[in-house]
Amino acid sequence: MITVKDLVFSYTEKPFIETMNFSVRDGEIFGFLGPSGAGKSTLQKLLTGLLPRYGGSVTVDGTEAKRAGKEFYQNIGVDFEFPSLYEKLTGRENLRFFASLYRRHRDIDALLKAIGLHMDADKKVSEYSKGMKSRLNFIKALLHSPKLLFLDEPTNGLDPSNARVMKDMILQEKAEGKTVILTTHNMYDATELCDHVSFIVDGAIAALDTPKALMTKKRAVQLTYTFESPDGGLEERSVPLTQTGGDATLRQLIGDGKLASIHSAEPTLNDVFVEITGRRLQ
Amino acid sequence: MRANLRSMRMFFTQIKGDSMLLMMCFLPPLIAAVFRFGIPFAEGQLRSVLQRSAVLSEYYLLFDLFLAMFAPYFLVFISAMVMLSEIDEHVAAYLAVTPIRKRGYIVSRLLYPALLSVAVSAALLSLCALTDWSVWNLLLACLLSVLLCIPVGMLVVVYAHNRVEGMALAKLSGLVLFGLPIPFFLTNGFQYLFSWLPSFWIAKLFMTQNYLALLPAIFVSAAWIWALYRRFTRKLL
Ligand SMILES: Nc1ncnc2c1ncn2[C@@H]1O[C@H](COP(=O)(O)OP(=O)(O)O)[C@@H](O)[C@H]1O
Ligand SMILES: [Mg+2]
Repeated sequence: MITVKDLVFSYTEKPFIETMNFSVRDGEIFGFLGPSGAGKSTLQKLLTGLLPRYGGSVTVDGTEAKRAGKEFYQNIGVDFEFPSLYEKLTGRENLRFFASLYRRHRDIDALLKAIGLHMDADKKVSEYSKGMKSRLNFIKALLHSPKLLFLDEPTNGLDPSNARVMKDMILQEKAEGKTVILTTHNMYDATELCDHVSFIVDGAIAALDTPKALMTKKRAVQLTYTFESPDGGLEERSVPLTQTGGDATLRQLIGDGKLASIHSAEPTLNDVFVEITGRRLQ
Repeated sequence: MRANLRSMRMFFTQIKGDSMLLMMCFLPPLIAAVFRFGIPFAEGQLRSVLQRSAVLSEYYLLFDLFLAMFAPYFLVFISAMVMLSEIDEHVAAYLAVTPIRKRGYIVSRLLYPALLSVAVSAALLSLCALTDWSVWNLLLACLLSVLLCIPVGMLVVVYAHNRVEGMALAKLSGLVLFGLPIPFFLTNGFQYLFSWLPSFWIAKLFMTQNYLALLPAIFVSAAWIWALYRRFTRKLL
């Protein structure tokens, strides 16, 4: 669906994105995960043809992004990181207008209902809260049922229940065979939703794999246990899950039934991110 | 095409929802009427007071040239205000990733309003002109006026950060119209100091009826548009 080859881009004289390569398969959710300022939104703008002055090649749905025509935009849906809505119009008026730009579109009321805005559809967008604007902005990207979706931090600033609804809708799009590019700095969203995740730092891809592979390849799952030490205090020890057989103390404690506690801790995507890039996500 | 027309319709929806912009739409015909009836009346009064045979009537052509400018000037101003709101609301950037695309947005915010203002300007001039105009000269005057006003709109969009600044800039940019009186009042070589103003050449063209002035009139406007185009399109993102 997307092939990026030797991509070079910068807003200024200073190099920013240098020879970037990656590809996105049909029907997957592909994540850009990285801290603020890493270049995630810039990448989305490059992929959607908003920044045509790049080097290398960016092929999206068979089209070179900088030469994207009308037909290209019939098939992609974009959710910017900021709301892009007419504030003086109502939610419904906004959706009606944007829907009218496409050959075909989905049922507007059904979309409003799905995201939970049907009660507020006839209020002006200027009266919406930040989260309501984000949700309206999100369904605006789905209006024409595009086969390729670009979502820039869609769940940012939403309460957990609304974020849940939105994530389910994203998964539903995938179930219908759509391809989704998801930008986020939320590792839980990336872990849950993405088939592949790329770590973006300073305009470069630091790692790219499935969330599962990233979490298990780098650092082994740790087993942590506590027990009563000879001086009467509580001592804690950790051992990689793959090497428990070599831990004599653990074997002894299990044999004697003297363990105070035991649990395994899978590393989060955040741990892996810090380990690979030396940066924190937020 | 269809998407561009939808975008144009949204342009009118925006104007309808903004009382200031709506008022602006009625100013050109209002001013045209004031010119049509007020100036000849003033001329009659001045003649009898000053005991002269002609006071303002020597400048009737100049009034007509200003008259041709009003519709494009106000429409471009309205368009610039709409664009500043749309940039502020990030809608301008969003439309660039819909079938409208950046090009369609520019067409529906600059080109279509410009064409509309040619028609309005021609109508006002044919109804309210103080001098006699041939059809061709009238159309030419309106076309050149519109061509001059397009870069004014672009300038406002490029340099204003919001609508308040846009208003101030639009008033200031009204100065580009003041190339019109130059050939009427400065008859020596100093007048060419103003040759970077397209309005100077428009006045020159219709004063002297020398169609060679058409070339610089078009060229200078085109140069302004060319100089602003890159910044203008970048501001839309
Ligand atoms: N229009 C622009 N002009 C110049 N620099 C920009 C522009 N937009 C973003 N940048 C810079 O590019 C870098 C990447 O920004 P962005 O892609 O928005 O990051 P992210 O989305 O990962 O937070 C930042 O350093 C930002 O300041
Ligand atoms: Mg961003």
